[in-house]
Amino acid sequence: MHIRDAADVEAAVRAAIAREQPIEIIGHSSKRSIGHAMATNAVLDVSALNAVTCYEPNELIITVQAGAPLDDVLSLIDSKSQEFAFEPMDTALLLGARSGRGTVGGMIGAGLAGPRRIKAGGARDHLLGAHAVSGFGDSFKAGGRVVKNVTGYDLCKLLAGSWGTLAVMTEVTLKVMPKAETGRTLVLRGLDDVTANRAMTAALGSPYDVSGAAHAPHPALRAAARGALARLASRGHGATLLRLEGIVASVAHRATALAADLASFGMAELIEDAESAALWRDIRDVTPFAADGALGAWPVWRIVCPPASGGAFGQALARETGGEVIYDWGGGLLWAALPPSVDAHAVLLRQRLAAIGGHATLLRADEGTRRTVDVFHQQEKGVAALAERVRLSFDPKSILNRGRLTRTSIS
Amino acid sequence: MPIMMPASDQMVLNRRDAIVADLRAIVPGEGVIFSAAEMLPYESDALTAYRQPPMVVVLPETTEQVSRILKYCFDNGIKVVPRGSGTSLSGGALPLEDAVLLGLGKFKRIREIDLDNRVVVTEPGVTNLAISQAVAHAGFYYAPDPSSQIACSIGGNIAENSGGVHCLKYGMTTNNVLGCELVLMSGEILRIGGKAPEQAGYDLMGIITGSEGLLGVVTEVTVRILRKPETARALLVGFPQVEAAGECVARIIGAGIIPGGMEMMDKPAIHAAEAFVHADYPLDVEALLIIELDGPSIEVDELIKRVEAIALGCGSTTCRISGSEAERDLFWAGRKAAFPAVGRISPDYLCMDGTIPRGALPRALARIRDLGEKYGLGVANVFHAGDGNLHPLILYDANKPGEMDKAEAFGAEILRCCVELGGVLTGEHGVGIEKRDLMPHMFSEVDLNQQQRLKCAFDARGLLNPGKVFPTLHRCAELGRVHVHSGKLAFPDLPRF
Repeated sequence: MHIRDAADVEAAVRAAIAREQPIEIIGHSSKRSIGHAMATNAVLDVSALNAVTCYEPNELIITVQAGAPLDDVLSLIDSKSQEFAFEPMDTALLLGARSGRGTVGGMIGAGLAGPRRIKAGGARDHLLGAHAVSGFGDSFKAGGRVVKNVTGYDLCKLLAGSWGTLAVMTEVTLKVMPKAETGRTLVLRGLDDVTANRAMTAALGSPYDVSGAAHAPHPALRAAARGALARLASRGHGATLLRLEGIVASVAHRATALAADLASFGMAELIEDAESAALWRDIRDVTPFAADGALGAWPVWRIVCPPASGGAFGQALARETGGEVIYDWGGGLLWAALPPSVDAHAVLLRQRLAAIGGHATLLRADEGTRRTVDVFHQQEKGVAALAERVRLSFDPKSILNRGRLTRTSIS
Repeated sequence: MPIMMPASDQMVLNRRDAIVADLRAIVPGEGVIFSAAEMLPYESDALTAYRQPPMVVVLPETTEQVSRILKYCFDNGIKVVPRGSGTSLSGGALPLEDAVLLGLGKFKRIREIDLDNRVVVTEPGVTNLAISQAVAHAGFYYAPDPSSQIACSIGGNIAENSGGVHCLKYGMTTNNVLGCELVLMSGEILRIGGKAPEQAGYDLMGIITGSEGLLGVVTEVTVRILRKPETARALLVGFPQVEAAGECVARIIGAGIIPGGMEMMDKPAIHAAEAFVHADYPLDVEALLIIELDGPSIEVDELIKRVEAIALGCGSTTCRISGSEAERDLFWAGRKAAFPAVGRISPDYLCMDGTIPRGALPRALARIRDLGEKYGLGVANVFHAGDGNLHPLILYDANKPGEMDKAEAFGAEILRCCVELGGVLTGEHGVGIEKRDLMPHMFSEVDLNQQQRLKCAFDARGLLNPGKVFPTLHRCAELGRVHVHSGKLAFPDLPRF
C-alpha cells in the first residue's frame, strides 16, 4: 500500500489488526539492525510522509511528517542558524549503513541523543507534539506546538525512544534552538579513565557551562581511521575533551577560566571552531568503532550510568573483556566495543552495571547474537510488568514492531 | 458554579468508622485525621472556590505505610486523593466525599546530596526552594522555580510538571527529574529511573511527571541540580503598545538569545504591582518586559547590549538595566508580587493559565480585552512572555450575584481562545477540575481515550484521584473503542461531567 497521508497509515494498521498480521514500521531503514529480529512479515513504509508542515524560526519550532529525511530537516534549520540541541547521532558509520541519517520519525523512535544530552536534554525533551496511529488503528494526537504545556498526559515522552512499539508517528513537532556562535574544545592528554572522569565531573560542576565532556583512551582513539579523532590519536595519548559554546567573548573567557580550574589535571590544549565541531561529531557518531574500521567486527554496547561512576566502570570493563571504551556526557554514556564472544559479554557487563545503577543496549551485533542476548536492558520485574501494560494500552494485539524490544515476546 | 464530581459510594461512606480504624492500624498516633474541624485545612487546595471535606485524612511517614494504605484502599474499592502542600491552582488535590485524602506532608527529608553526579535524592514533601537551599553552599541550585516555590512540594511539582520563570532556558520539572520511587494503587512499590541521565525502556518518568496524581504516589524523587550561573542581570523595558513588546520578545528569540527569564505585565498589572511594592515601574507604558540574562559576566554584559538594542529597535520608551543585585531584585519584586497586588485592587480574581505561540501574543491580548468588555469585567495580564504562558487575572466580586459565573465563563473563553491560536489549555497549573470540562476543546474523544487507556495501565480500577483531568469517567474494560450507535454512547450510566 502506498502511504500518502495519516489516513493511509490508519487504514494500513487497521488492515493489519483485522488480519492479525504484525507489521514492521520503517522509514529509511537506517536503524533496522537495532533490536531483536521482529516477528513480522509485513512492512509499513512511511518514508513518503516527508513534508515539512510548518517551520517558524522565531517560535523555535518545526513540524514535519515522520518520514521526512533528517538530513534535509537539519539543512533547513541550519539555514536559519538553528539546530536540534540534543545532537541526534548519525548511526550510519557505526551500523555500516550506506548513507543518510534516516528520518525524523526514526530519530524520535530511537531517542538517541549526542554529547549535549547532559546539558540540553534528549530527544524526549525536544518533542513537543505528535500525531500518531495506535495499535487500535486510531489516529491520536499528543502534546501540542508550544513548549510550556501540561494539558493531559505527556504521551510524547513515551513515544520518544519507544522504537515504534507503541504507535506509528505520522507528524511531529520539535523544539529547535539557536546554534551557538562559536565553540572551542579544551583537550587534556594522557589521563587514565578514572582521572579523566574526575576532570569531567569537575568541569561539569563548574560555572562555565560545559556543553560536552568526553574521554577517549588512547587504544580506542587509535581505532579511529579518519576524522578529527584520528588526527588527535596520531599525536599519542588518550584525550579528554571539554566543549564550550556560546558567543565569542564568553567562550574565550570560559576557556581560560576552565583551563585554570583544571590545571591540576594538566595543561589544556585548545581546539577552535571547525576542528572542535568535527571532534564532537566524531564523538557523537562514535567513529572509532565504525563498522568499516579496525573494530568493525566487534559488538558495540551503549551504556548509561550515573556519570561519576563511569570511569571506574569503563576501565574495569575494558580490562576484563579486552575491549575498548569511549566516554561521552562526562561518563554518563559509555560506548564499549567488546571482542566477539557468545554473549557479547552481556552477563558480565550487566552484572557489573547492576552494582552502580545503569543500563546497556547492544546497539551493534550480528543477528545470531541478537537472538541469544537481550539487546535492551531487562527491567526489574514490577517495572517491566508496568511497561508491558503501557505497551498494551497502545497496542493490545502487538501489531507494531512485535518482538523488537524483548526476546520473550517473539515466542 | 457547582462542579460535578464522581458519585459518592454510599457503601464506602457507611463503613467510614471501620475504614478509619483500619487506617489507624497502618498509621498509628496522629497520622489519621477524621474530625470535621481538623479536616478543614484539607477541604481545598489553592483553588479555594471549590471545597469538599474528605472522608478521612491520612498522613503516612514511610513508603511502606503508603503502600499498605493504597493496597488497603485497592482491596476495598476506596478512592484515594493524593496531596502535597496543597498549592495546586487547578483543584488537583480537591478531596472527594468518599475518598481517603493521602497527605505526603511528612515526607520532609532530603535523603542524599550527590554533587559528583549533580543530583539530589529527596522525599516528596520537601519544598522546591529547600532543594536549592540545601545545595546552595556548593554553588548549585534546582532550576524549575514555580512562583509558589517557597511553599510547594517537589512531589506536587512532579504531579503538575510545574514551571516558573527559569523554564524558558532550563526546562520544566520533566526536564529536571531523573527518577522516583512510585507506589501504584495496588500498593506495589517501583523504582523508576535513578541517577543516570536516561532510564531503560519506555520513559515512564516522563509520563508520571505532570500526571496530576492519577497514576501513582511518588515517595522519593531524584532531581538534577545545576551550577549557579556566575551572574544575572535584568532589563526593565517599557513599551507604548503591547504589540511592540510582543515583537521585542520574538526578535530576542529570533536573534538566538535565550534569556534566563522573560516576563511581561500589561498596564493594569503594572499599576497594581507598582502601588504594592514601589519598584519604580514606569506608569506611562502599556506593557513592561523584565528580561533576565544569566551566565558568565562577560557574556551577560554583551547580551544586555544586544537586548537593549533590540528593545530600542522595537520602540521601547524606557529601558533600565540592573546595576546591582538589589536593583535586579527590585525589578522582580513587582512581578513576583503581581498576584497579591492585583488582589488589593479587586475583591476576587480568577487566575487563568493558558499557553499560546509567542507570535500570537498581540492577538490573544486583544481578544482578552474584547472579552473583558463583553463580560463587563476587568482583567490584568501577567505572563511568561518567553514561552507564551499567559496568566490573565480576571477581576470580579464574588459577593455580587452572578459575577463568579461570569468570571468563569470569561476564563473558559480565554482558554478556548488559546487553543484556537495554536496553544494549549494549561501551561503550568494543570487541568485538575478547573479545566477538566474544556479538555474536549483540545483533544478528540479518541485522543482522550488513549490517555485514559494509559491511566488503566497504572490504575486498572480507577481509584486514584478520579474526577480530575478527564471530563468522562471510563471503565478500563470499555476503552477498546468507543462505539456510538444511533447517537447513543456505550455505558450511558457512566458519569460524563
